[in-house]
Amino acid sequence: MLSSNKCSRRGAVAAAATIAVAAVAAVGASASSAQTHAHASSSRPANEINILMYGDAQNSVEKYEIATYNKTPEGKKVKAVLTTIPGANYQTKLQTIMSTSSAPDIFFNWGGGSIEQFQKAGLLLPLNSMMKADPKLKSSFLPSILNAAKIGANYYGVPMRGTQPVVLFYNKKVLSEDGVSVPKTWAELLSDVKTLKSKGVAVPIALGGGDQWPSLMWYEYLYDRVAGPSLVTDGLAGHKSVWGSAASKQALGDIKTLVNAGAFGPSKSWDSIKFTAGTTAQMLVGGISAFELMGSWDYSTIQSQGSTATGTNPANGPGATFVKDGDLGYSAFPSVSGGKGNGADLAGNTENYYSVLAKTRYPQAVADFLKIMYSPTMVKDELAIGNLTTTTNTPKLISGPTAPYLKWQYNLVHIAPAFQLSWDQAYPQTDTNALHTAVAVYFDNLNASAFISSMEKLTPAS
Amino acid sequence: MTTLANGGRTKSSGGLKVGRPSFLWSLPAITYFALFALVPLGVVAWLSFNSWDAIGSPKWVGTANWSAMFSDPIFIKSFKVTAILTTLGIVVQTPISMLLGVWAAGNQRNRAVLSVLYFIPLLLSAAAISVVWGQLLNPYFGFPHELHWLFGSALFNHGYLFSSPSTAIGVLTFVGMWQWTPFHTLIYQGGARGIPEVLYQAASIDGAGRIRQFFSITLPQLRNTMITSLVLMLVGGLTTFDSILILTQGQPGTSTTTTSYYMYEKAFQSFQFGEASVIGVVLAVVTVLISLIIVRASGWDKMRSTQEGV
Amino acid sequence: MTRQRPNYIAGVLTTFWLLIVLVPIYVLVKGAFQTQSNYIASGPLSLPKDLTTQNFHLVFQDGFARFFLNTGIITFAVVLIVIALVPPVAFAIVRNRSRTVTVAFRILLLGLAVPIQAVIVPIFYLISKAHLYDTLLAVILPTAAFSIPLSTIILTGNMRDITSEMYEAMALDGASSWRTFRSLVVPLSRGGIATITIFSALNGWNGFLFPLILTQSAHVEVFTLGLYDFTTANAVDAPAVCAAVVLSIIPILLVYLFARRWLIQGLMGVGGK
Repeated sequence: MLSSNKCSRRGAVAAAATIAVAAVAAVGASASSAQTHAHASSSRPANEINILMYGDAQNSVEKYEIATYNKTPEGKKVKAVLTTIPGANYQTKLQTIMSTSSAPDIFFNWGGGSIEQFQKAGLLLPLNSMMKADPKLKSSFLPSILNAAKIGANYYGVPMRGTQPVVLFYNKKVLSEDGVSVPKTWAELLSDVKTLKSKGVAVPIALGGGDQWPSLMWYEYLYDRVAGPSLVTDGLAGHKSVWGSAASKQALGDIKTLVNAGAFGPSKSWDSIKFTAGTTAQMLVGGISAFELMGSWDYSTIQSQGSTATGTNPANGPGATFVKDGDLGYSAFPSVSGGKGNGADLAGNTENYYSVLAKTRYPQAVADFLKIMYSPTMVKDELAIGNLTTTTNTPKLISGPTAPYLKWQYNLVHIAPAFQLSWDQAYPQTDTNALHTAVAVYFDNLNASAFISSMEKLTPAS
Repeated sequence: MTTLANGGRTKSSGGLKVGRPSFLWSLPAITYFALFALVPLGVVAWLSFNSWDAIGSPKWVGTANWSAMFSDPIFIKSFKVTAILTTLGIVVQTPISMLLGVWAAGNQRNRAVLSVLYFIPLLLSAAAISVVWGQLLNPYFGFPHELHWLFGSALFNHGYLFSSPSTAIGVLTFVGMWQWTPFHTLIYQGGARGIPEVLYQAASIDGAGRIRQFFSITLPQLRNTMITSLVLMLVGGLTTFDSILILTQGQPGTSTTTTSYYMYEKAFQSFQFGEASVIGVVLAVVTVLISLIIVRASGWDKMRSTQEGV
Repeated sequence: MTRQRPNYIAGVLTTFWLLIVLVPIYVLVKGAFQTQSNYIASGPLSLPKDLTTQNFHLVFQDGFARFFLNTGIITFAVVLIVIALVPPVAFAIVRNRSRTVTVAFRILLLGLAVPIQAVIVPIFYLISKAHLYDTLLAVILPTAAFSIPLSTIILTGNMRDITSEMYEAMALDGASSWRTFRSLVVPLSRGGIATITIFSALNGWNGFLFPLILTQSAHVEVFTLGLYDFTTANAVDAPAVCAAVVLSIIPILLVYLFARRWLIQGLMGVGGK
């Protein structure tokens, strides 16, 4: 065996070790210095504000907002740039970049638990002074909606889309052909499902189980109807025992009944389809299903079903025809007799908000951009795609083909005694995965004790 | 006959001073690789003892993450899922790649055209493949609907391929096979081409038939190739991610949540980077260990060193 | 002299495999040229009629031209880095028998076994601390690094074909290691270098995890991400997705067709003789 040159070997090992140590030291040094600098200048171009947006079928309005702002004198000085992230990745991306130099100046969120972490870390700009400088920024919106993005004495969010209660959509043609009425009570829903199945409707209720969060909506409503809104409020406040209560078990039992009746198709079939892939909309429009329980944004999703290219405005596919022909029906979630909850209670997303980064480089540009949120043009654009804005002038501006839907929705929200925020927004981000899994697993296995123990393990917002 | 180290010459052999490269020739690549693969390994080990949510800075928590993860049933289950998917991948892909590779090494006329066609899956990204197959396998609007006579049976879960653990795993195995078999076919093709013709001639003179020749000559000669392919399949199987993210997201339930996918969930969905780092360390250690064991046990890398050009 | 091969079995198997490979590609290519309504109405397997190129227009409208550009830049840079770093280390591995180099080779072999997923969190941490987050460099640097192990294995296998007589001829000439490298090794390793070019190009072109985690904005978005985003947005347009996928293959398919011979030769060195 040929002996190697000892000098060069030792030298090489030393060199490698030095490099490794130096690298780790450099990383450590930059890490600590980055902290002491409280984040050096942004790595983004000057004279630009960056708006991070949830990507979905309704982005046409957001794109329009940006274009409008960029045409104004302020917009010509400091440009607004929109970045859309597909829904499934949005919260991941947001959290990942919030403390980097690529953090957005303005970002989309759901208020409540979705911004708490950021506020606690001091990353958000309180909007009180902006509201003082521009009083309409506060007075144009419904107070209860502004409060959902208020933490302590500070406002952190400006409403920017619409309130999104979850409602029961249905295909009017399928219902009338099969002699089924719109269910007003739980018992009616069960009998409707039975009739539909006997008439050959394969999947009476379209459920995007593959996304997991659509299933959550059934829990939200049944828990409210059976146990009243206080059970979930208590659970969110940390009283874990509520999940094992008799009311909770009864709600779970109701879900079981519906699942076993084949309402969502054969067992577990719903895991193979998704809302986000447009499948459930396709099923509803195509008549494979009669119902879909979904947030109010589904109006827009159904309308653009089958349109060429995502988010086309105006929509041009079978979904657009479906809605134009008046075949899309919508109704409140049925009431449950003997339940503690009010049949007029709602569940869903109270609103979506724009929040502002504490260290934004151009607060004035941001303030100018946010003015658009209460401008009548923007309100009208949102209304046109079926989003019920929460400005005080909304009822006056409702017009056009979406008017019946919006007036109905407005009334729903107006008279609702309680409005439960979607559980996956109410709980902190760290719990979302576990919550979604628990919800999906129960639909598949119908094991109540497993669900209860999963819910008890969640750590609610403190 | 040693020489002094100077200007690039270190060793000689056979009595002649040949222009051999010094260690410095390998330094750039090693340094660069160390920076992006080895230093991060150290960082991930360090992070596993911290708690970090991407906001603010990491906080030391000692072994809390480690005990949390090792009492996490999903984490433990993920090893089983990973093992199943990897084993299935190897069992399915090896015979096909081997037979196709051996065939392709021959002199059939249309071999050239067919090889190009067979190679196309490799050119597609895992993302593209998964996106396409995800659409094709939609139960109400894809293949299961149109080919109902094939997919309607219980074997395919009546067309709901993503609803049962076994069919979901089947889909992942199939998509992986579709994408990677061309790669391993090429490896076997290369190996088969290196088998000396004389062996086969001698065998046919002896009266051995095709099948007998395959088992007595081809297979043994492909031993090194098999090991290469096996190691690559193992590493590939242990780290499959793209297709799981796009096709099943670890579902139904957690039945396709592999260890690497669970790590992604822990890090980038639950923002528990400390716990995710525990998974990262375990994943790296297991992968490297398994590869080392196979390589050592088969003497693969020793084979290589005795073949160095001298 | 033809080899003996199990012909009938081979014939059946290869035909079967051809179907498995080609049917999805047929669906893909056909779908790219159909209208949305046509596609839904006639199902994926039917024969095409009323072909259209509108899907390709749509894809480009949606910013895919930008994604192509970004992916191209990344691929080019990755290949550049690999070609600059790997031939020297392969040369050292093949010709330098000292322990340090053997150790270096072992490190690279082990590197093949290190999963990207295991180190993606620290890489993300390092990249963001280096203020490189959401840049093309953030994708280029790690992708090139992880292409090094396999490229090294392939190229060393290829370089071993250069016989010691050739080296000794150079030595007799009084050639330094640099001259040996430049005038002997590189020209004779052209095949292997072409192969590692293709492999690292494939890594750059098809990379998904690094872009997913290390970038965010549309101006640095790569093709694989664009495709994923295109599909996860609501109201999916299947023919448009097919068009996007078809477009993504064309550049890399052209590269492959040109370099096919070198690719096969390169891989033949991997299996070990």
